[in-house]
Amino acid sequence: MTKFFRVYWTFAANQIKSNFVYKGRFYLYILRKFLGMFIYYYLWMAIYASASSGQLGGFTRSEMILYVFLSYTISDLVMIGISSEIGKDVLDGSVAMNLIKPINYRLYLTFKSLGVMIYRIVVPSVFIWAGLEIYKVTALGMPVSSPAQIGPALLSILLSFFIYVFFDYCFGMLAFVTTYIFGMTIIKNAALNLLTGRLIPISFFPAVVQEIFSFLPFTAMTYVPVMIWMGKYSGTEALYQLGKQALWVVLLYLLGSFLWKKIEKRIVILGG
Amino acid sequence: MKTVARYLRLYRIFAVQYMKTVMQSKLDFFIGLGGFLISQAAGLAFLYLVFQQIPVMKGWSLEQLLFIYGFAQIPRGIDHLLTDNLWMVGWQMVIQGTFDKYMLRPMNLFFQIVCEKIQFDAAGELLVGIFFVGRAVAKGVVTVTPLKVLLFFVSIIAGSVIYTSVKLVLASIAFWVKDSSPIMTTAYDVADFAKYPVEIYAKPIRIILMTILPFAFVAYIPSTYFLIDANIWKTVAAECGISVLFWLFSYSLFKKGLTRYESAGS
Repeated sequence: MTKFFRVYWTFAANQIKSNFVYKGRFYLYILRKFLGMFIYYYLWMAIYASASSGQLGGFTRSEMILYVFLSYTISDLVMIGISSEIGKDVLDGSVAMNLIKPINYRLYLTFKSLGVMIYRIVVPSVFIWAGLEIYKVTALGMPVSSPAQIGPALLSILLSFFIYVFFDYCFGMLAFVTTYIFGMTIIKNAALNLLTGRLIPISFFPAVVQEIFSFLPFTAMTYVPVMIWMGKYSGTEALYQLGKQALWVVLLYLLGSFLWKKIEKRIVILGG
Repeated sequence: MKTVARYLRLYRIFAVQYMKTVMQSKLDFFIGLGGFLISQAAGLAFLYLVFQQIPVMKGWSLEQLLFIYGFAQIPRGIDHLLTDNLWMVGWQMVIQGTFDKYMLRPMNLFFQIVCEKIQFDAAGELLVGIFFVGRAVAKGVVTVTPLKVLLFFVSIIAGSVIYTSVKLVLASIAFWVKDSSPIMTTAYDVADFAKYPVEIYAKPIRIILMTILPFAFVAYIPSTYFLIDANIWKTVAAECGISVLFWLFSYSLFKKGLTRYESAGS
């Protein structure tokens, strides 16, 4: 077991190290994320200013501000993904090398992404979250988030990460059957922006749509951890959601293994 | 006048050649287009869902906002379609010394760079833009008069020139800093603010959007003329003025950067 971790952990560690090297690029990346967040911040301020009630979609204005920043930072941690790397590997043929090595390809990619995620927790997520707490208490007059909220939320974020990685692995399998993986990645990202609640809380969708969403893993990728963090899902509801997330992790893992078996057969037949 | 005709002819030749290469991967194009349309749909779903809850946003109705949204996409799309190669200037051309090959030819450099690439991906932006502008007209959100139609086209052209000029300024910075593509992408992101009424933003942002990155003039400010008959001089005319100013500035900066490039001993 320890050998397993020692082997795969190096991939994560390397990723963390290389992220520290490319700092300049990273800061610009953060700036661009902030720009996006602020567009929505101002939009929501204008929207609430024009609303007749103080609550929209179950969120007060203060809560919505938190929602914007939380959903952006959390989705940044969760949606690191591996499908673009799979796509690249397939296109330039290096995927063959990865398959020969005695390392599980999926685990290798997962740990690499884990490295990125850990880096992003420290830089800048922790700082943004700290900033949010300060802003919450001073400007919004809300209480500090309790450990009872943050603890489960962090667990939820971790589960979301795995849900997304395993989902993205399945999506990455498309790279083996089509050369248009990059175009489809654009479609995937655009759709997920909406489906994961990153753009707008799921509670804004019509009830029917929300019902359908509850059977899909997408809300578990960003919306669920944010709601747990904000205390909107608490107690048994939070436990239920966490349980659902765990279930999705297992289901998507199995789906990935299943798809891979099919693809592997295909590659072998084609003489790969 | 003869040079203009000559350049138009040259452009057509280059464009046809380029299209032949692009047409080889039609499916790629349609998937890219599909992806773009879906990402647009996400942004529009946001507006739609929000307006289920509120009737107007700072005095603007959903239909008006959709007009502004569509109106913002058209100049952006035109610039994206025609001058996409400018990204290469900011990203690679200075570093890789690609300008040498352009300088050998007896043709205007800017023209050469620009006609080398026609970015058909922009079809998505144009489709969305035209659709929502057309829809607004059909719904009577904008009143149609001959003057407005004329000024609409003027504004679109001026808006595209603003986009191109800003891109050219930032790309030209590469002559000094080698790789200006991160700055270009950031500025382009700022242009996203322009899809919505600029008055919702805090003062510093509004100032930026009206001065150094004058994207507010590309869509929102002129659309106040089309939607609520704001003063022509303060809107469309101002837009034209800014686009001329920015064009002159960006082109001279580009020229200056080129001389710097040459003198570096290529």
